[in-house]
Amino acid sequence: MQLDFSSKETWLHRINPSLKLFVLIMLCIVVLLVHNLLFMVNLTIIVLILFLCFTGQPLKRILLLFIPFFVVFLSTSSSMILFGQGNTTWFKWGLIHITEESFFRGLLVGFRALLFAVLGLTFALTTRPVYLFYSLMQQVKLKPKYAYSFMAALRLIPIMLEEFQTIQNAMKVRGVVRQTGIRSVFFKMKAYSIPMLSGSIRRAHRIAIAMEAKRFSDTRDRTYYYEIGFSKHDLVFILYFVILLLGGYYGAVKGI
Amino acid sequence: MERIAHVDKLRLKFPGDTSLIFKDLSSTIYKGEKVLLLGPSGCGKSTLLQVLSGLIPHSIEVPMKAEELVSPPSFGYVFQDPDSQFCMPFVDEEIAFVLENINVPKQQMIDRIHHHLQQVGLHLPNIHTSIQTLSGGMKQRLAIASVLALKPDVLFLDEPTAMLDPKGTKEIWNVLKEVGQEKTVIIVEHKIDHVLEFIDRIILFNEAGQIIADGPKEIILSTYQEEMREQGIWFPGVWEEYLDTTPLLRLRTPFEKKEKILDVQNFKGFRQKEEKIRVDQLQAYSGEWIVIKGENGAGKSTLLHAFMQFIKTTGHCELLGTAIKKVKKQSDFMTFVFQNPEFQFVTNSVYEEIAYTLKVDKKDSREIEKKVEELLEWFRLGDHRDKHPYQLSMGQKRRLSVAASIVNEQKLILLDEPTFGQDSKNTFALLEWIEELRLKGTTIIMITHDEQITNNFATRIWTIEAGKVISDETQSISINPELVSV
Repeated sequence: MQLDFSSKETWLHRINPSLKLFVLIMLCIVVLLVHNLLFMVNLTIIVLILFLCFTGQPLKRILLLFIPFFVVFLSTSSSMILFGQGNTTWFKWGLIHITEESFFRGLLVGFRALLFAVLGLTFALTTRPVYLFYSLMQQVKLKPKYAYSFMAALRLIPIMLEEFQTIQNAMKVRGVVRQTGIRSVFFKMKAYSIPMLSGSIRRAHRIAIAMEAKRFSDTRDRTYYYEIGFSKHDLVFILYFVILLLGGYYGAVKGI
Repeated sequence: MERIAHVDKLRLKFPGDTSLIFKDLSSTIYKGEKVLLLGPSGCGKSTLLQVLSGLIPHSIEVPMKAEELVSPPSFGYVFQDPDSQFCMPFVDEEIAFVLENINVPKQQMIDRIHHHLQQVGLHLPNIHTSIQTLSGGMKQRLAIASVLALKPDVLFLDEPTAMLDPKGTKEIWNVLKEVGQEKTVIIVEHKIDHVLEFIDRIILFNEAGQIIADGPKEIILSTYQEEMREQGIWFPGVWEEYLDTTPLLRLRTPFEKKEKILDVQNFKGFRQKEEKIRVDQLQAYSGEWIVIKGENGAGKSTLLHAFMQFIKTTGHCELLGTAIKKVKKQSDFMTFVFQNPEFQFVTNSVYEEIAYTLKVDKKDSREIEKKVEELLEWFRLGDHRDKHPYQLSMGQKRRLSVAASIVNEQKLILLDEPTFGQDSKNTFALLEWIEELRLKGTTIIMITHDEQITNNFATRIWTIEAGKVISDETQSISINPELVSV
């Protein structure tokens, strides 16, 4: 089984991963603090442009990934809109009580959830984990010990998926599927988790030994196969946000 | 001669174990030697290899004590499992990881990567290839290439071909012979056919972790055959000896009553919507032992998975006259023994494991007990009935997985390389059990790479090439004249 999300490379891929991570985290904090609905809408548009046009993924996959987050948007905002509190009642029917305040707060919260999701997705779709960790080692001085253990762990994920499938087949053969009742749920959980856990622990241990056998040590002075620096793309990325955010804020205040 | 690795009076035990693995063990390896450590599984050869290399105690913490311990300053270590020795996702990055560790400047890296891949004969169109897409043999080559990047004087090889088919095994040993010529090489291996011409010294262990012999290979091989047979080591000629001393059961009583078990026509198996295996037509009858042959990746396992309906299939496939998709409780009629026994275990004890399928079907408890006792005895697992399946040895795990799979007395048993990684004693015992099942009328369909099993046990051979079954030959039973006259 393979997880393949490879795509065309765009300028978003070429941005320094540490910088990208930093900017996107800052944006998340900004999103938390914004209470102006218009500004929030502008922000969403700014980020959506990047997500829809510059991740290099086929549009079909982008829309597919977008569906769950759109559902999150609808559910968070609608629950706030329908059951929130407020003074100016627009509509009331049984439990449902829509007020002006709850309507706008609902939209705000919905957009906030949506923005978090889109920011995260944009980052994940345009960043190879290996580059991210190389960059973190070089720009943020992350200890190699942590960087390489994360990279090794990422390699284990597809192997674990394959194991999961094998266990699933084995359960079929043994007739576990036919076991019924509440106890069977716990039984199945155990039957899956124990072999997977024991397998992963053993494998992680072996990889750790193999890494040390290849003279891996935790010193920071090592050479790097990928030397990751900064480029004009980074400037474009920062300017994109600075200009559009200022524009969006100005527009929101002026009420456009 | 210069000492390259040395231990004196080594005492070592594993945490939790009560007894020592080694008690006052001493050994010395000299520069340029090619040494083979040989012994039964669980005797501590791999542990000694780790001590000699210095991985124990530097990387692996194990309670140990030694009067003197010398390990080589520059060494490379190749492990047995191709999937758990890489920490990067791509071929070039993995070798680069090693080069980074020894501070090779970035400008030289690409050239070095190409050079080491060349050395092990791993010719890839693009060095930035995902390691996951490589075959087992290619992965082991990559493991050797990344070890060579360290420019080691000493190579430690811990069963580097344990997970490979015969072709891959041969290739890997050819590579190792070439790159290891100038180096000191210390090997743990129990399939020794390909290793013998390369090495010059053998250290032989017994079950208690003691060295019982140490010397030039010719002397050890000729003097200690009896011990090696006892330990289940695959020394050259072990098959011939087995065949000479054990008249095959099959020759005594050929199975007569034939019933069509499996009937397949125009059958296709799909993985992720892609056709992976195609069968025009095949039949299997009761009392047949069918071996599936073919190269790695040809689709042997896929065919078995298709029969078991683990994957999507189209076409006609009948089990005992009923379309397989309509068979209720398929596991009453056919069963599957996986390559890795551990994935099959679902309970906490050997006894429960065998009883499991019967208990799910709510069979009578006295009947269950009788059946389980019978199987425990038959597969020599009676002494271990309360152990957790994971605590068993490799051979015992394999026996348990077979016992637990056949408890329903299914008419069709599919096995995916059941003798893989087993020592000779366990292999022969397992083959004899399967043969006994066959004589009771069970149909066996088994994947194996072992020519000897194919030639001596199979009644029919299916060959698979590039996702298609290309031949179906019945193997005539060569009747031994002596036995006929009896």
